[in-house]
Amino acid sequence: MTQTRNLIDENGKRTDGRTIDELRQVKITVGTVKNADGSAFIEFGKNKIVAAVYGPREVHPKHLAQSDRCVLRCRYHMSPFSTDTRKNPAPSRREVEISKVMREALEPAVMLEDYPRAAIDVFVEVLQSDGGSRCAGITAASVALADAGINMRDIVAACAAGKVDDKIVLDINDTEDKEGGADMPVAYMPTLGQITLMQLDGRLSPEQFNECLDKALVGCKMVYDIQRQALMQKYFGNETEVKEEQ
Amino acid sequence: MNDIRRRYVIPGDKIAEGNYRPLMNVVKSGNALYATRIGIAETGRDGAKVIPLSGVYIPRVNDLVIGKITDHTSLSWEVDINSCFSAHLPASDVFGRDFSPARDDMSKHLAVGDMITARVAAFDRTRDPMLTLQDRDLGKIPRGELLKISPTRVPRLIGKRGSMIQTIEQATQTRVLIGQNGIVVVTGRTPEGVEMAVKAIRMVEEEAHTANLTQRIKVLLNVPDEPQGAPAASNEAQKTAEPAAAPADPAEGELEVESEK
Amino acid sequence: MSVSKRSTIIVEHLRRQQMLDNLAKGRRLDGRAFDEQRPLEIEVDVIKKANGSARVKLGNSEVIAGVKVETGEPFEGLEDKGALIVSGEVLPIASPHVEPGPPDEETVELARVVDRGIRESEMVDLGKLVLVPGKIVYTIFVDCSIVNADGNLFDATSYAAVSAILTAKIPILEMKDDKVVDTGSTMPMPVTTVPVSITQVRIGDAILVDPASEEEGCMDARITIDTTDEGYCALQKGFTGGFSPDQIRKAAETARIKGEQVRAKIKEATGFGR
Repeated sequence: MTQTRNLIDENGKRTDGRTIDELRQVKITVGTVKNADGSAFIEFGKNKIVAAVYGPREVHPKHLAQSDRCVLRCRYHMSPFSTDTRKNPAPSRREVEISKVMREALEPAVMLEDYPRAAIDVFVEVLQSDGGSRCAGITAASVALADAGINMRDIVAACAAGKVDDKIVLDINDTEDKEGGADMPVAYMPTLGQITLMQLDGRLSPEQFNECLDKALVGCKMVYDIQRQALMQKYFGNETEVKEEQ
Repeated sequence: MNDIRRRYVIPGDKIAEGNYRPLMNVVKSGNALYATRIGIAETGRDGAKVIPLSGVYIPRVNDLVIGKITDHTSLSWEVDINSCFSAHLPASDVFGRDFSPARDDMSKHLAVGDMITARVAAFDRTRDPMLTLQDRDLGKIPRGELLKISPTRVPRLIGKRGSMIQTIEQATQTRVLIGQNGIVVVTGRTPEGVEMAVKAIRMVEEEAHTANLTQRIKVLLNVPDEPQGAPAASNEAQKTAEPAAAPADPAEGELEVESEK
Repeated sequence: MSVSKRSTIIVEHLRRQQMLDNLAKGRRLDGRAFDEQRPLEIEVDVIKKANGSARVKLGNSEVIAGVKVETGEPFEGLEDKGALIVSGEVLPIASPHVEPGPPDEETVELARVVDRGIRESEMVDLGKLVLVPGKIVYTIFVDCSIVNADGNLFDATSYAAVSAILTAKIPILEMKDDKVVDTGSTMPMPVTTVPVSITQVRIGDAILVDPASEEEGCMDARITIDTTDEGYCALQKGFTGGFSPDQIRKAAETARIKGEQVRAKIKEATGFGR
């Protein structure tokens, strides 16, 4: 990646007015797809993504079933109108790869051994894309899995950090992704302390690498708080504690 | 059981530390127990568990389920039991040991779209659930209003020792058939009664996690609060021997899961 | 090859009987009149990256449509016209019965019927979307993503596509030295009329407007009729049962009357004609 213009101004503000430690606006709504067993709609900056979970359910064709565990199937897909130039609806190499790393990011959290011979399907549809759609997709998918009542060890929260104007910044947007120096998407299970997705494109010094990872993890924790709040809101409304009955 | 602590949790939340027995929907890691579902965590002397608020039905042997016939081969019916697996009802279970695919017309007995009450006869990790109709009150359901609720709300709808469902049935003069798989069939003398029962069931489903639910259901159905020996509803005919059957200790009854002994 | 098959939605006999009993008394299970649509919600400009977009909810059926404008060669035989392509995908999130992968015959039919209604109404004045006659024209893609499927996807998808087109802003392009240049300004889509699709199904003797999923599961036959404010422009009869000529005439009349009401709603939501 080569950078052609300044992406951080003299006041330390980025192209969208954020500071280097600031997350974009993130909003999660749980249960937006009526037919699904679990679902979530996420707005992450300009990303608009819907994730839906079906399952555990029967595997078709049957030979794909595994006798000792559940199969997790994941599809990341972009609607043709989601990008600047129209995207062909057939899955691209990029979508195929993201579907795979997304599945691998979610799989450690899902207790697949509890549902032998069944399948859990996770469908992530990008309706409008911005930088970091895979992180937003994983974040929404994880909430949808919890909404579906699938046994999980932890929630998976995802956020990227990166390098812009030689500074390490939190949560790369579209412009920074295309013009900036480096992009490091990370997915993290906060309770278990496990990183389940990590990619990097761009050059970082060893110091920058550590700083970038630290920053991404801070972002994941911010995202986690929003996930938790969204789930609590759906299931318990404004009540935060169980009222004991008299 | 005043020492039970309850709180709302999501997967990954630590619910207890130390020597607690993991009961259900919890996972042990190190010296602590973590929730694996969204729901209400309970920690007490017996151990720790999470009463889930979402999730599909996982069959268990002996469960009473309500299913829909979706297909049949020459040897068995395929039944949708609102679960991760469709179930099988062997033709021999209906026709007896001398069942002959050439002679007995299966679709005459149970056709695609028919609803049945059945019991789970067998289910394990290696095969699909098998159903049986060999018991009292099992078989084809001739009529009724059909509802689907989250299977996780079934214990709440039944209530402690059937208190919730009895309250609804008595006040609305209906009969409510509840499958552990979340399928519910309501029949009654009047459409108004059925409608009222459906409304009450929907309320239980939506507010399952809240306290004093039985109380609010009684308000919805105009059931007098303190039945002083008198029948719960004045227009009721016979079956009011135990009016309202209120749980003695609602704090325990409300969140206790009847079917999970 | 098209093969006869059982409906993916098996309606329980209890429900079917209840539905038939109700229909005999002139009622539908959800309390609607025979010619009553479910609540229709139209929200426009939901996808900022598209040239035009709309989200439509018809009952619990939900569709998002986006318009993308590109340039390309004209279709053969239509050298003096811009190209318009309406397509649709029933996303696997939309129902437990959808398999990811290439569209099946029902999805292809859905997209083509929606496309036909818009194309044959001559809603978009494609003659105004030509840059170099015979060589370079505007290509208008209208893509529809079905997010939740609960019956009558034909109408929900059509309303979404039509509303997205009505709100679309087209970049004004020019030819300079044989190259297409974006002038940076935009124009509204050249629209002549607003087509409206009305789908009805027959269950026994009853003809119902805007079937819910459960009603589609019990239907004998289906008919989708597109109207403009002048008359009819496209039609598709579907499913394995038939209609009598009188039933068709009645359905066509209903499509015009209902179509008028929906047209007013679409115009209001998109601000078209204001």
